[in-house]
Amino acid sequence: MSQERLGHIACPREQEIVDLVVSGRWSDDDDLRAHAAECAACGETLELARLLKDDHKALCEKAPVPSAGAVWWRATIRARAEATRTAGQPITLLQGIAAATAVGLFVGLAGAWWRSIGSGDVWLERVDELVSRSVSVPAAVSLSLLLVLAACLIVAPIAVYLATADEP
Amino acid sequence: MREMTLSELSRLDAAASEADEAFQMDEDAFRLFYERTARPVWAYLARMTGDARQADDLLQEAYYRLLRAKAPYDSDAHRRNYLFRIATNLVHDIRRRPRVDAVPMSDEMEHADPRQTDAAGHAARRVDLSRAMAQLKPRERELLWLAYAQGSSHQEIAATLRLKTSSIKALLFRARQRLAAVLRERES
Repeated sequence: MSQERLGHIACPREQEIVDLVVSGRWSDDDDLRAHAAECAACGETLELARLLKDDHKALCEKAPVPSAGAVWWRATIRARAEATRTAGQPITLLQGIAAATAVGLFVGLAGAWWRSIGSGDVWLERVDELVSRSVSVPAAVSLSLLLVLAACLIVAPIAVYLATADEP
Repeated sequence: MREMTLSELSRLDAAASEADEAFQMDEDAFRLFYERTARPVWAYLARMTGDARQADDLLQEAYYRLLRAKAPYDSDAHRRNYLFRIATNLVHDIRRRPRVDAVPMSDEMEHADPRQTDAAGHAARRVDLSRAMAQLKPRERELLWLAYAQGSSHQEIAATLRLKTSSIKALLFRARQRLAAVLRERES
């Protein structure tokens, strides 16, 4: 690019030049060609537009693009994998809740059983006493806690069954 | 981990069918659109990243995102602009975490066909352009490519690059001057 053709001031006809170069009709317009030979900004625009357009054309010709079918197929596979993963999330969540409920239930039952058989160990009695004192909750609250626990005892097996059972 | 039950499998199968329907065009429409746009998009990605292999990967990703997008399109041109916007975003993402196994464009794509009469000169000009473009800011590269190689209007460029239409002219002018200056430096 020659120094004397530095395009320091924008020309209103630059876009016309770009449009003609891009559409491949540059050689059709003698008037604009004459203008570009005189106008520094348009001359620079013309040179760069030609250079970039040639490069674009060459790259497009050699572009190693896969077939539309291959791109579609890969997209389908990926969308299915993503949908499967998304659909699997609630199931995993439900399994987690069921497992946590089962563990809580087991611990609760084990504790109740331990109390019912009445341990003779002194240290366990002390722990029991300590827990009883620290958890000095009002009767209404303890009643609602008992109701929630009972509800869990009924709902948890049903939830586990629904999460794991096969449909007929 | 336990095996999946039949009910879970059927639920997942239904989800897979929904995934097929989640695409915003059918296969025939996609094929037509792809045939018209794949090469220009690849060229854009290749020139913006300077890496042919990355352009291959990003091409697939760009079409996938387009298919999954929920955007409503007024026309094919609108859809095309949206595709270029996706491609631009992908290039920006890649720039934040560059690949270690990049394949420079000059290694694969810049060699001219020896049967061409002015093959050497043509190839040299393209290598010069490629190196000059690499010295520009990403935004300048995008502007110049979209305007001069793609022939996009200022409105389309603004939509693709998320810029104001009124600022495109000035930005493009500065980018053009910068490319011309870099090319002059290379020549001298």
